[in-house]
Amino acid sequence: MAAWTHIAHSSLSLPAATVTWTGISGSYDHLYLKMSTRCDAVSYSTNIYVNFNSDTGTNYSETQLYAGTATPTSYRASGQTKLQYSGYSTGTSALADTFSSTTMWIPNYANTANFKQTLTSSVSPNNSTTDVQWLVNTTAGLWGATPAAIHTILLTSFSSDFVAQSTFDLYGVTGA
Amino acid sequence: MAVIEAIATTYLEAAAASVTFSSLGSYEHLQIRVSGRDNYAGSGGNNLYIRFNGDTGSNYSTHSLYAYNGSNTAVDKYTGQAYVYAGGYISGPLTPAAANYGVTVIDILDYGNANKNTTMQQMSGLVADSSGNSFLQFASALWDNTAAVTSILLYPPSGSFERGTEMTLYGIQE
Repeated sequence: MAAWTHIAHSSLSLPAATVTWTGISGSYDHLYLKMSTRCDAVSYSTNIYVNFNSDTGTNYSETQLYAGTATPTSYRASGQTKLQYSGYSTGTSALADTFSSTTMWIPNYANTANFKQTLTSSVSPNNSTTDVQWLVNTTAGLWGATPAAIHTILLTSFSSDFVAQSTFDLYGVTGA
Repeated sequence: MAVIEAIATTYLEAAAASVTFSSLGSYEHLQIRVSGRDNYAGSGGNNLYIRFNGDTGSNYSTHSLYAYNGSNTAVDKYTGQAYVYAGGYISGPLTPAAANYGVTVIDILDYGNANKNTTMQQMSGLVADSSGNSFLQFASALWDNTAAVTSILLYPPSGSFERGTEMTLYGIQE
Protein backbone atom coordinates (compact mmCIF):
# COMPACT_ATOMS: atom_id res chain seq x y z
CA MET A 1 0.00 0.00 0.00
CA ALA A 2 1.26 3.41 -0.88
CA ALA A 3 2.15 5.60 2.04
CA TRP A 4 2.57 9.33 1.83
CA THR A 5 4.77 11.46 4.04
CA HIS A 6 4.51 15.20 4.10
CA ILE A 7 8.12 16.38 3.85
CA ALA A 8 7.76 20.15 3.65
CA HIS A 9 5.23 22.94 3.39
CA SER A 10 6.01 26.50 2.38
CA SER A 11 3.30 29.12 2.56
CA LEU A 12 4.48 32.59 1.65
CA SER A 13 3.47 35.48 3.86
CA LEU A 14 5.65 37.84 1.82
CA PRO A 15 6.69 37.79 -1.83
CA ALA A 16 9.72 35.64 -2.59
CA ALA A 17 11.60 34.84 -5.78
CA THR A 18 12.52 31.31 -4.77
CA VAL A 19 11.55 28.39 -2.60
CA THR A 20 14.21 25.83 -1.74
CA TRP A 21 13.96 22.44 -0.11
CA THR A 22 17.25 20.95 1.04
CA GLY A 23 18.26 17.79 2.80
CA ILE A 24 15.53 15.72 1.20
CA SER A 25 15.79 12.22 2.58
CA GLY A 26 16.40 9.42 0.11
CA SER A 27 14.16 7.05 2.02
CA TYR A 28 11.10 7.36 -0.21
CA ASP A 29 10.35 5.81 -3.58
CA HIS A 30 8.98 8.91 -5.27
CA LEU A 31 8.55 12.63 -4.70
CA TYR A 32 5.35 14.54 -5.39
CA LEU A 33 4.94 18.33 -5.44
CA LYS A 34 1.80 20.40 -5.23
CA MET A 35 2.03 24.13 -5.84
CA SER A 36 -0.63 26.82 -5.74
CA THR A 37 1.14 29.91 -7.03
CA ARG A 38 0.79 33.41 -8.37
CA CYS A 39 3.58 35.85 -9.20
CA ASP A 40 3.96 39.60 -9.50
CA ALA A 41 5.00 39.62 -13.16
CA VAL A 42 2.80 41.63 -15.49
CA SER A 43 1.58 38.59 -17.38
CA TYR A 44 -1.17 36.03 -17.49
CA SER A 45 1.15 33.09 -16.91
CA THR A 46 4.83 32.96 -15.97
CA ASN A 47 7.26 30.05 -15.82
CA ILE A 48 8.43 28.35 -12.66
CA TYR A 49 12.02 27.19 -13.01
CA VAL A 50 13.13 23.96 -11.32
CA ASN A 51 16.71 23.00 -10.47
CA PHE A 52 17.89 19.85 -8.73
CA ASN A 53 20.89 19.65 -6.38
CA SER A 54 21.94 23.20 -7.34
CA ASP A 55 22.91 21.98 -10.81
CA THR A 56 22.88 24.84 -13.32
CA GLY A 57 24.64 22.95 -16.08
CA THR A 58 23.00 22.37 -19.43
CA ASN A 59 21.52 19.09 -18.27
CA TYR A 60 17.77 19.65 -18.48
CA SER A 61 15.40 18.69 -21.28
CA GLU A 62 11.62 18.88 -21.62
CA THR A 63 8.76 17.90 -23.88
CA GLN A 64 5.44 19.63 -23.35
CA LEU A 65 1.89 19.56 -24.63
CA TYR A 66 -0.07 22.71 -23.95
CA ALA A 67 -2.82 25.03 -25.03
CA GLY A 68 -3.26 28.75 -24.54
CA THR A 69 -5.18 29.24 -27.76
CA ALA A 70 -7.63 27.11 -29.71
CA THR A 71 -4.74 25.06 -31.10
CA PRO A 72 -3.01 22.40 -28.98
CA THR A 73 0.76 22.71 -29.32
CA SER A 74 3.80 20.65 -28.47
CA TYR A 75 7.32 21.88 -27.81
CA ARG A 76 10.65 20.30 -27.02
CA ALA A 77 13.79 21.81 -25.54
CA SER A 78 17.15 20.39 -24.51
CA GLY A 79 20.44 21.65 -23.14
CA GLN A 80 18.66 23.91 -20.68
CA THR A 81 20.08 25.06 -17.37
CA LYS A 82 16.81 24.27 -15.57
CA LEU A 83 13.40 22.82 -16.14
CA GLN A 84 11.60 25.88 -17.39
CA TYR A 85 8.36 24.63 -18.92
CA SER A 86 7.30 22.35 -16.10
CA GLY A 87 5.32 24.76 -13.98
CA TYR A 88 3.48 28.04 -14.32
CA SER A 89 2.12 30.80 -12.10
CA THR A 90 -0.65 33.22 -12.88
CA GLY A 91 0.57 36.81 -13.07
CA THR A 92 -0.93 40.16 -12.27
CA SER A 93 -2.82 40.34 -15.58
CA ALA A 94 -4.95 37.34 -14.63
CA LEU A 95 -8.09 37.69 -12.55
CA ALA A 96 -7.25 38.86 -9.02
CA ASP A 97 -6.90 36.19 -6.34
CA THR A 98 -6.50 33.47 -8.96
CA PHE A 99 -3.61 31.08 -8.46
CA SER A 100 -2.15 28.45 -10.74
CA SER A 101 -2.26 24.78 -9.87
CA THR A 102 0.78 22.57 -10.47
CA THR A 103 1.53 18.95 -9.60
CA MET A 104 4.82 17.18 -10.32
CA TRP A 105 5.86 13.55 -9.91
CA ILE A 106 9.54 12.66 -9.61
CA PRO A 107 9.68 8.86 -9.68
CA ASN A 108 12.64 6.94 -8.28
CA TYR A 109 14.32 10.23 -7.35
CA ALA A 110 16.87 8.70 -4.98
CA ASN A 111 18.53 6.19 -7.27
CA THR A 112 22.13 6.81 -8.30
CA ALA A 113 22.07 4.81 -11.52
CA ASN A 114 19.55 6.62 -13.70
CA PHE A 115 18.71 10.09 -14.94
CA LYS A 116 15.68 11.66 -13.27
CA GLN A 117 12.42 12.08 -15.12
CA THR A 118 9.56 14.32 -14.07
CA LEU A 119 5.91 14.49 -15.05
CA THR A 120 4.08 17.75 -14.50
CA SER A 121 0.57 19.09 -14.93
CA SER A 122 0.21 22.83 -14.58
CA VAL A 123 -2.69 25.18 -15.29
CA SER A 124 -3.10 28.94 -15.20
CA PRO A 125 -6.86 29.53 -15.07
CA ASN A 126 -8.48 32.84 -15.89
CA ASN A 127 -11.93 34.25 -16.56
CA SER A 128 -11.10 34.76 -20.20
CA THR A 129 -11.22 32.83 -23.44
CA THR A 130 -8.86 35.21 -25.22
CA ASP A 131 -5.68 33.68 -26.62
CA VAL A 132 -2.72 33.44 -24.22
CA GLN A 133 -4.73 34.75 -21.29
CA TRP A 134 -4.98 31.22 -19.90
CA LEU A 135 -2.89 28.02 -20.06
CA VAL A 136 -3.20 24.28 -19.63
CA ASN A 137 0.10 22.43 -19.78
CA THR A 138 1.58 19.00 -19.23
CA THR A 139 5.31 18.38 -19.45
CA ALA A 140 7.77 15.52 -19.25
CA GLY A 141 11.14 16.63 -17.92
CA LEU A 142 14.61 15.10 -17.77
CA TRP A 143 17.52 15.94 -15.53
CA GLY A 144 20.38 14.28 -17.40
CA ALA A 145 23.30 15.11 -15.16
CA THR A 146 25.50 12.39 -13.72
CA PRO A 147 22.96 10.29 -11.86
CA ALA A 148 22.60 11.30 -8.24
CA ALA A 149 19.88 11.15 -5.63
CA ILE A 150 17.87 14.36 -5.52
CA HIS A 151 18.46 16.05 -2.18
CA THR A 152 17.69 19.66 -3.09
CA ILE A 153 14.93 21.28 -5.12
CA LEU A 154 15.00 24.96 -6.08
CA LEU A 155 11.84 26.61 -7.41
CA THR A 156 12.29 30.02 -9.02
CA SER A 157 9.67 32.42 -10.31
CA PHE A 158 10.91 33.71 -13.68
CA SER A 159 11.84 37.41 -13.44
CA SER A 160 9.37 37.92 -10.61
CA ASP A 161 8.40 36.97 -7.10
CA PHE A 162 5.87 34.44 -5.98
CA VAL A 163 3.22 36.47 -4.17
CA ALA A 164 1.98 35.97 -0.63
CA GLN A 165 -0.48 33.09 -0.21
CA SER A 166 1.46 30.97 -2.69
CA THR A 167 1.85 27.49 -1.23
CA PHE A 168 4.30 24.69 -1.95
CA ASP A 169 4.05 21.13 -0.64
CA LEU A 170 6.55 18.31 -1.01
CA TYR A 171 5.52 14.72 -0.35
CA GLY A 172 7.46 11.47 -0.21
CA VAL A 173 5.62 8.41 -1.46
CA THR A 174 6.61 4.84 -0.72
CA GLY A 175 5.27 1.57 -1.99
CA ALA A 176 3.30 2.98 -4.89
CA MET B 1 -3.09 10.78 10.86
CA ALA B 2 -2.29 9.68 7.35
CA VAL B 3 -1.19 12.34 4.87
CA ILE B 4 -3.84 11.29 2.36
CA GLU B 5 -7.20 10.14 3.67
CA ALA B 6 -10.40 9.03 2.02
CA ILE B 7 -12.99 11.49 3.34
CA ALA B 8 -15.97 9.91 1.65
CA THR B 9 -16.83 7.38 -1.02
CA THR B 10 -20.11 7.29 -2.91
CA TYR B 11 -20.97 4.12 -4.78
CA LEU B 12 -24.29 4.34 -6.58
CA GLU B 13 -26.50 1.31 -6.08
CA ALA B 14 -29.10 3.00 -8.29
CA ALA B 15 -29.09 5.82 -10.82
CA ALA B 16 -28.77 9.26 -9.26
CA ALA B 17 -28.94 12.76 -10.70
CA SER B 18 -25.92 14.00 -8.78
CA VAL B 19 -23.36 13.33 -6.09
CA THR B 20 -22.57 15.87 -3.39
CA PHE B 21 -19.68 15.97 -0.96
CA SER B 22 -20.49 18.33 1.87
CA SER B 23 -18.16 17.33 4.72
CA LEU B 24 -14.76 18.26 3.42
CA GLY B 25 -12.75 18.33 6.62
CA SER B 26 -9.59 20.34 7.21
CA TYR B 27 -6.90 19.47 4.73
CA GLU B 28 -4.55 21.42 2.48
CA HIS B 29 -5.72 19.91 -0.79
CA LEU B 30 -8.54 17.76 -2.14
CA GLN B 31 -8.58 15.07 -4.77
CA ILE B 32 -11.62 13.36 -6.29
CA ARG B 33 -11.35 10.11 -8.20
CA VAL B 34 -14.30 9.20 -10.37
CA SER B 35 -15.33 6.09 -12.23
CA GLY B 36 -18.49 7.27 -13.96
CA ARG B 37 -21.19 6.54 -16.48
CA ASP B 38 -24.46 8.34 -17.24
CA ASN B 39 -27.70 7.68 -19.12
CA TYR B 40 -27.76 10.92 -21.13
CA ALA B 41 -29.62 9.71 -24.22
CA GLY B 42 -27.73 9.76 -27.48
CA SER B 43 -24.28 10.26 -26.03
CA GLY B 44 -21.21 8.07 -25.91
CA GLY B 45 -19.43 10.17 -23.34
CA ASN B 46 -20.01 13.41 -21.48
CA ASN B 47 -18.28 16.07 -19.52
CA LEU B 48 -18.73 15.96 -15.78
CA TYR B 49 -20.19 19.20 -14.42
CA ILE B 50 -19.20 20.63 -11.03
CA ARG B 51 -20.46 23.37 -8.74
CA PHE B 52 -18.89 24.63 -5.53
CA ASN B 53 -20.85 25.68 -2.45
CA GLY B 54 -24.12 25.49 -4.38
CA ASP B 55 -23.22 28.55 -6.42
CA THR B 56 -25.34 28.72 -9.57
CA GLY B 57 -24.05 32.13 -10.66
CA SER B 58 -22.09 32.72 -13.84
CA ASN B 59 -18.82 32.44 -12.00
CA TYR B 60 -17.06 29.51 -13.60
CA SER B 61 -14.42 29.30 -16.32
CA THR B 62 -13.01 26.18 -17.95
CA HIS B 63 -10.19 25.50 -20.40
CA SER B 64 -9.63 22.00 -21.70
CA LEU B 65 -7.23 20.28 -24.04
CA TYR B 66 -8.31 16.94 -25.40
CA ALA B 67 -7.70 14.17 -27.91
CA TYR B 68 -10.44 12.11 -29.50
CA ASN B 69 -11.28 9.66 -32.27
CA GLY B 70 -7.75 8.44 -32.57
CA SER B 71 -6.05 11.35 -34.28
CA ASN B 72 -7.84 14.59 -33.41
CA THR B 73 -6.96 17.23 -30.83
CA ALA B 74 -8.99 20.23 -29.77
CA VAL B 75 -9.52 22.90 -27.15
CA ASP B 76 -12.65 24.04 -25.33
CA LYS B 77 -12.74 27.35 -23.47
CA TYR B 78 -15.62 28.90 -21.60
CA THR B 79 -16.14 31.66 -19.10
CA GLY B 80 -19.17 33.09 -17.35
CA GLN B 81 -20.78 29.70 -16.99
CA ALA B 82 -22.94 28.46 -14.13
CA TYR B 83 -20.82 25.33 -13.59
CA VAL B 84 -17.42 23.85 -14.32
CA TYR B 85 -17.95 22.58 -17.84
CA ALA B 86 -15.04 20.13 -18.07
CA GLY B 87 -14.87 18.71 -14.58
CA GLY B 88 -14.07 15.26 -15.91
CA TYR B 89 -15.32 12.73 -18.45
CA ILE B 90 -17.78 9.88 -18.04
CA SER B 91 -19.23 7.20 -20.29
CA GLY B 92 -22.64 7.61 -21.91
CA PRO B 93 -25.24 5.06 -22.96
CA LEU B 94 -23.86 4.73 -26.50
CA THR B 95 -20.54 3.46 -25.23
CA PRO B 96 -20.93 -0.14 -26.30
CA ALA B 97 -20.03 -2.01 -23.16
CA ALA B 98 -22.29 -1.22 -20.24
CA ALA B 99 -19.41 -2.08 -17.97
CA ASN B 100 -17.24 0.69 -19.46
CA TYR B 101 -16.93 3.64 -17.06
CA GLY B 102 -14.89 6.79 -17.76
CA VAL B 103 -12.15 7.71 -15.31
CA THR B 104 -11.28 11.12 -13.86
CA VAL B 105 -8.83 12.46 -11.28
CA ILE B 106 -9.54 16.00 -10.04
CA ASP B 107 -7.11 18.07 -7.94
CA ILE B 108 -8.34 21.09 -5.98
CA LEU B 109 -5.43 22.84 -4.29
CA ASP B 110 -5.62 25.02 -1.18
CA TYR B 111 -9.40 24.81 -1.22
CA GLY B 112 -9.81 26.31 2.25
CA ASN B 113 -7.85 29.50 1.60
CA ALA B 114 -10.24 32.45 1.71
CA ASN B 115 -7.70 34.63 -0.08
CA LYS B 116 -7.86 32.63 -3.27
CA ASN B 117 -10.42 31.88 -5.92
CA THR B 118 -10.88 28.14 -6.19
CA THR B 119 -8.99 26.54 -9.05
CA MET B 120 -8.77 22.93 -10.10
CA GLN B 121 -7.20 20.70 -12.71
CA GLN B 122 -8.34 17.32 -13.93
CA MET B 123 -7.18 14.48 -16.13
CA SER B 124 -9.80 12.14 -17.55
CA GLY B 125 -10.21 9.48 -20.16
CA LEU B 126 -12.61 7.08 -21.78
CA VAL B 127 -11.38 4.30 -24.04
CA ALA B 128 -13.70 2.89 -26.70
CA ASP B 129 -16.66 5.25 -26.66
CA SER B 130 -19.74 5.08 -28.90
CA SER B 131 -17.77 5.22 -32.14
CA GLY B 132 -15.24 2.69 -30.98
CA ASN B 133 -12.89 5.57 -30.43
CA SER B 134 -11.54 7.20 -27.31
CA PHE B 135 -11.32 10.47 -25.42
CA LEU B 136 -8.53 11.94 -23.29
CA GLN B 137 -8.86 15.30 -21.57
CA PHE B 138 -6.73 17.62 -19.44
CA ALA B 139 -8.49 20.71 -18.10
CA SER B 140 -8.40 23.60 -15.69
CA ALA B 141 -11.28 25.39 -14.03
CA LEU B 142 -11.78 28.55 -12.04
CA TRP B 143 -14.53 29.42 -9.60
CA ASP B 144 -14.48 33.21 -9.20
CA ASN B 145 -15.11 33.20 -5.50
CA THR B 146 -12.66 33.36 -2.61
CA ALA B 147 -14.85 31.52 -0.15
CA ALA B 148 -13.48 28.31 1.28
CA VAL B 149 -15.01 25.34 -0.51
CA THR B 150 -17.53 23.64 1.75
CA SER B 151 -19.44 21.49 -0.71
CA ILE B 152 -18.88 19.98 -4.14
CA LEU B 153 -21.72 18.97 -6.45
CA LEU B 154 -20.96 16.68 -9.40
CA TYR B 155 -23.56 15.91 -12.06
CA PRO B 156 -23.91 14.89 -15.72
CA PRO B 157 -25.11 17.41 -18.33
CA SER B 158 -28.46 15.61 -18.52
CA GLY B 159 -30.01 12.48 -17.13
CA SER B 160 -28.43 10.64 -14.23
CA PHE B 161 -25.32 8.81 -13.22
CA GLU B 162 -25.71 5.10 -13.78
CA ARG B 163 -25.60 2.46 -11.10
CA GLY B 164 -22.00 1.49 -10.43
CA THR B 165 -20.66 5.03 -10.66
CA GLU B 166 -18.18 5.55 -7.86
CA MET B 167 -16.58 8.72 -6.54
CA THR B 168 -14.10 9.07 -3.72
CA LEU B 169 -13.06 12.34 -2.11
CA TYR B 170 -9.57 12.44 -0.61
CA GLY B 171 -8.04 15.00 1.71
CA ILE B 172 -4.31 15.63 1.55
CA GLN B 173 -2.58 17.10 4.59
CA GLU B 174 0.03 19.80 4.59
